[in-house]
Amino acid sequence: MRKYLWLVMLPLLLTGCKGQKKMSLYDEVYKERPATIYIAPLDDRSERRPMRTLDDSIYNASLNIATKQLYLTASDPLVFNGYYVLGPLASAQLAATETRTGRQLRNDNISDYHSELGIDAVLFITLHNWSETPVSWKAEIEYTLRSTHTGNEVMHVIVKASKQLQTDFKGNPKPLGVEQDFAKKYGCDLETAQRCRLVEVTNQYVLKDLPSGRRSRGNSIERYVVSHPEYFNLNINPNGGVELIRSNEN
Amino acid sequence: MLTAALVLAACSGQYKGMPREEVLAYQTNSTYGELYSLAEAYAQSINAAVKDDTLHPGMYADYGVTLALMGHRAEACRMLNAEMKAFPESRGMVNRIKRHLMPDLMSDTLFSFAADTAQLALWAYDSISALRPLASVASVIDSTDREWISRQTPTDSVEIPIRLSANQKREMLEQQQQEAARLRKAREDSIAAAKQAKIDARKQAKTDKEKAKKEKVKAKKQSDKKKKQLEKQKKKEREQLAAEKKKQQKQQAAEKERQKKQQAIEKEQQRQQQAAEKESQRKQQAAEKEAQRKQQAAEKEAQRKQQAAEKEAQRKHKKGGDQ
Repeated sequence: MRKYLWLVMLPLLLTGCKGQKKMSLYDEVYKERPATIYIAPLDDRSERRPMRTLDDSIYNASLNIATKQLYLTASDPLVFNGYYVLGPLASAQLAATETRTGRQLRNDNISDYHSELGIDAVLFITLHNWSETPVSWKAEIEYTLRSTHTGNEVMHVIVKASKQLQTDFKGNPKPLGVEQDFAKKYGCDLETAQRCRLVEVTNQYVLKDLPSGRRSRGNSIERYVVSHPEYFNLNINPNGGVELIRSNEN
Repeated sequence: MLTAALVLAACSGQYKGMPREEVLAYQTNSTYGELYSLAEAYAQSINAAVKDDTLHPGMYADYGVTLALMGHRAEACRMLNAEMKAFPESRGMVNRIKRHLMPDLMSDTLFSFAADTAQLALWAYDSISALRPLASVASVIDSTDREWISRQTPTDSVEIPIRLSANQKREMLEQQQQEAARLRKAREDSIAAAKQAKIDARKQAKTDKEKAKKEKVKAKKQSDKKKKQLEKQKKKEREQLAAEKKKQQKQQAAEKERQKKQQAIEKEQQRQQQAAEKESQRKQQAAEKEAQRKQQAAEKEAQRKQQAAEKEAQRKHKKGGDQ
C-alpha cells in the first residue's frame, strides 16, 4: 500500500515545486490577476520583398498569411488558460473604434480599457522580422502584456523562433506530416504551412505558461516549462520537437 | 494510469476551437463567399460547443459580427447579447461593438444560445451586392412557412427570412454547391493563371537569355574578326619591320665585313711595313755590330801588334842589355 501512496505523492510534490517557480516568474501577473485580455492588432514591422517577379508576390503572400496566423493563434493558449479573449473578428471591430495609434496604446494611459470595456490586460504582439535559410524559417516576435489597471508591463518576452526543416538524402526539404495536413486543410503551400506552424508553436510556448485565469476548466496539469525569462530562443527541430535556449543560460 | 486519467480529464473540459481555416480564408480573401462559409462554420461550431458545454469565449461575438457584416443585424444583435449573457465580463466590449455596428439596436436585449443554421441556409447571396433572399425561393413559400417566419422574424429586421421546404432546401444546397464550385474554379483559374504567367515569364526569360546569348556570340565573332584583322595587320607590319631589319642587318654585316677587310689589309700593310722596318733596323744593327766587331778586331789586332812590337822591343832591349 505504501508503494502506491508514493506513486500518488510524487507527482503532487513535483507539481508543488513547479508552481513555486512559476509564481516567482509571473508574480506581476499573479498580483494583477487579469480575467479578460484583449489582443491588440498585430504590429507588423517585418519587411516584404519589392514586387518584381511572381515569386516575390508569392513569398509576400506567404508571409502575410503566416502573420495573420500569428494573430489568430495567439488567443488559443490564453483561452485554454482560462482568460476571456475576444475573437479575431470582434477584436477587429473593437480596434476599429479606437482612435489612438498602436504606439500611443503601448505607451499612454489605457485605464479607459478597464473602465469602459472591462478589459484587464492588453496583449501587444510585435512581429519584428521574418528571415530564412535554405533549411530553416525564422521569426522574431515580441510579446508585451500590459495591465489596464496600473499601466505596467506584467509580461514582456522577446522570442527568436526558428524552424529547422527536415531534409531528404538529396538535401531537399521534407515536410512533416502535420505540416502537410495543415497545407491541405488551409489550401496553402508547404512553405506557408511551415511558417504558420512556427508562429503557432511560438504562441503556444510563450503564452501557455501564464497563470490559470478565472475560466480555467480545471485542467490544472502544469504544462510548465522554464521558458519565460525576458528573452529566449525557440527552435523547432527537423523532427518537430521544440528546443528552448534562454538568454540567461548563454 | 494516473497520468492517463489526468490527461483524459484535462482533454474532456477543453474549449472547442474556433473555425480558424475559415477565419484565415476570410481574412486573406474577404469575399461574400468566404464570409458566408465563415458564418456557416461559426454556426456549426457554436451548435456543437453548446451541446458539449465547451463554448470558446468570443465565439458568439464573432458570429454576431459575421452576421452583421452579412447584413443580418437583428440576428447579429441576438448573438452579441448571447455573448454578454454567457460571458458577463465581455459586456463592455460587446456593447462597444454593438454601438459601432448597430447603434439603433442598443436597446435590444434578446438573445439565443444556438445558431439557427436552417435560417442561415436561407440567406443566399450574390457576389456583387449584399446578401438577399432569392426571388425564386421567395415565390414558393407556403403559408405554414410564412407563419413560422412571422413568429421568428423580429419586427425591426430588414431581411425577410424564409424557411424552405425540402425541395427548396435542396435547391439552395445545389446553389451553394454551385457557388462553392464557382469559387473553387475561380481560385483554380487564378492559380492556373499565376502558373501560366510564371511559365510565360520563364519562357520570356529563356528567350531573352538566348537572344542575349546570340548577341553575345555575334559580338564575340565580330570582335574576333576585328582582332584577327588587327593581328594580321600587325603581323604584316611585323614582317615588314623584320625584313627591313634583316636588310639593315645585312647591310651592316656587309659594311662590317668590308671594314674588317679594310682593317685586315691595313693591318697587313702595317705589319709588312713594321717587318720591313724591323728588318732594316736589324740589318742596320747587324751592320753596325759588324762594323764594331771589325773595328774591335782591328783595334785588337792593332793592340796585339803593338803589344807584340813592344814585346819585341822589350826583348830587344833585354837582349841589348845582356849583351
